[in-house]
Amino acid sequence: MKVCRTLQTKLTHYYISSSGRTSPHAGVCATDRLMTSDLVKQLFINPKNVGAVGSAEFVGKAGSLRCGATLRFSLSIDESRRITDAKFRSSGCSYLVAASSLLTEQVKGKTTGEAAALAQHPESSVVERLGECSPDRTHCAFLACEALISAIKAYSDAVREDWPGDEALICTCFGVSERTIEREISARGLRTIAEVTQTCNAGAGCRSCYPLIEEILSQHSRERDLLLPAPAKFRLA
Amino acid sequence: MIYLDNNATTRVAPEVIEAMRPYLTEHFGNPSSAHSLGQTMKSAVERAREQVAELLGAAETGEIAFTSCGSESDNWAIRGVLEESPGKKHIVTTLVEHEAVRNLCARLEQQGYEVTWLGVDSLGELDLDALRESLREDTALVSIMLANNETGVLFPIEQIGRIVRERCNAVFHVDGVQAVGKIPISLRDMEVDLFALSGHKLHAPQGIGALYIRSGVKLASFIIGGSQESGRRGGTSAVPNIVALGSACELARTSDGHEAIRGLRNRLEDEILTKIPNARLNGTPDREKRLLNTSNISFAYVEGENILVHLNEAGVCVSTGSACHSTTHESSPTLRAMNVPYTAAQGSIRFSLGRFNTDDEIEYTLKVLPGVINKLVEMSPYDKELRELYAAHG
Repeated sequence: MKVCRTLQTKLTHYYISSSGRTSPHAGVCATDRLMTSDLVKQLFINPKNVGAVGSAEFVGKAGSLRCGATLRFSLSIDESRRITDAKFRSSGCSYLVAASSLLTEQVKGKTTGEAAALAQHPESSVVERLGECSPDRTHCAFLACEALISAIKAYSDAVREDWPGDEALICTCFGVSERTIEREISARGLRTIAEVTQTCNAGAGCRSCYPLIEEILSQHSRERDLLLPAPAKFRLA
Repeated sequence: MIYLDNNATTRVAPEVIEAMRPYLTEHFGNPSSAHSLGQTMKSAVERAREQVAELLGAAETGEIAFTSCGSESDNWAIRGVLEESPGKKHIVTTLVEHEAVRNLCARLEQQGYEVTWLGVDSLGELDLDALRESLREDTALVSIMLANNETGVLFPIEQIGRIVRERCNAVFHVDGVQAVGKIPISLRDMEVDLFALSGHKLHAPQGIGALYIRSGVKLASFIIGGSQESGRRGGTSAVPNIVALGSACELARTSDGHEAIRGLRNRLEDEILTKIPNARLNGTPDREKRLLNTSNISFAYVEGENILVHLNEAGVCVSTGSACHSTTHESSPTLRAMNVPYTAAQGSIRFSLGRFNTDDEIEYTLKVLPGVINKLVEMSPYDKELRELYAAHG
């Protein structure tokens, strides 16, 4: 069954790319080729959250040279890092519109961390929810998630800059400070970002703090090297 | 459904169905058979040949050969000419041909032929000086379409034929698929050697085409087989389809409905271009140089595929000039050759009308279209550009 579907998809794609234009007026064709599932169709015809949010706007963009789509997400985020409103504009295909509608709907009420974590997994947050589609439409799902993450990053960067607290804030999505990260690194001898994320959740969201965590890690690794006894061959006899 | 996609295919005309019906029911012989059942079929084929010859203005009925489709006609013409002139390795064609010609010439280019690809200007028109300069002693073939399938822009093949004759001995092939039945054609008055047509573009069923082969032009057989089509194309004649094509040609000649179609198209085009601020015409605004049934219009900053889907929902069938696809994004080669800006090419829609369209259908289309465009404009991330466009429109 799966093989058949893949083959069918390939044939359909070949047709589209070779003819360079489409004329899917028959209902079946439109469903097959443009409207991968009823939900996609429904969300495309009546998308939710089209436009830009009115206030406290954080904007994220994504585009694809490969398919020509452009996309803009706009988020309102309150002081407790909760997304109070999410909207989008898109010039992409129907699937991208559906994916954007679905994502904006999903992230409302979530914290930036929860939303970013969702966007890190387009397969489960978009593709599976929208229903069966041709495999290459996952490209559109990734694009929508990319725009969402980019909007959250914009928020994170702004918050980090304005952070009034005593300790530097590194992961804004989950409110993890520099001191916490340093403590965990020293106590547990962490060496990778993945280990840091696993231990204290820093970097689990939009990942805009990756370079900062990387910097802390390398600083610790230098300090560790200095504290270690010199290798045997350099020791004086 | 309101069908505004007649350049893709047309509805089979009732007259055509009636003409072919006996050849699907009571008559069933093979036209190659000597007995009376076969001969009945044979005379039907020959009658159809006359009808096609008459519509094309061919000097002789025998210049028409039946094929299975327009693409076969094009392939036969091009490959057949090259086979007859093995010493000549140069082909002249355009960047805006139908795939049947364009992709075949691209293949031949890979196989060692030299192809001159003539471009078009922003209105979709050919530069005849460039054509003149491209012709050489070793040019085997010039293949240029009569009417562009996407924009409807007409190429001056009468003039092109003269240029080809003056300059070299190349065979001149014309892909006439999109033009037949839509404009008057008189091949006997033109320097055209080969001319391809397809039945389903003029209300015959799919699966029937023809190739005009000017008397005296040497053309190798494409399908080797029996003696059908005077031994030029093997394969049992598709009699019902051939009869249908003949009948469709007769219908086009005696009652073309052109003025009505032209009126509807003009109204549709005028109102879209004046009422929708981000609409722009693709192809020359000179309607004398364009098919009377076609309008290719770009709606800047929105996605054509989305317009198509919304119109489809509203019950209107059109085509896009591009296909959005995550692995390949092909905007139409024709629009690319015309240097249509990317953001406009993406939003191009081809409206192609036919004899069955009515005033009410155009009225309805004009009623729903602005809403569809508006919805997509509101969704477009190019909101700044669109605001400027709409402000300028007033």
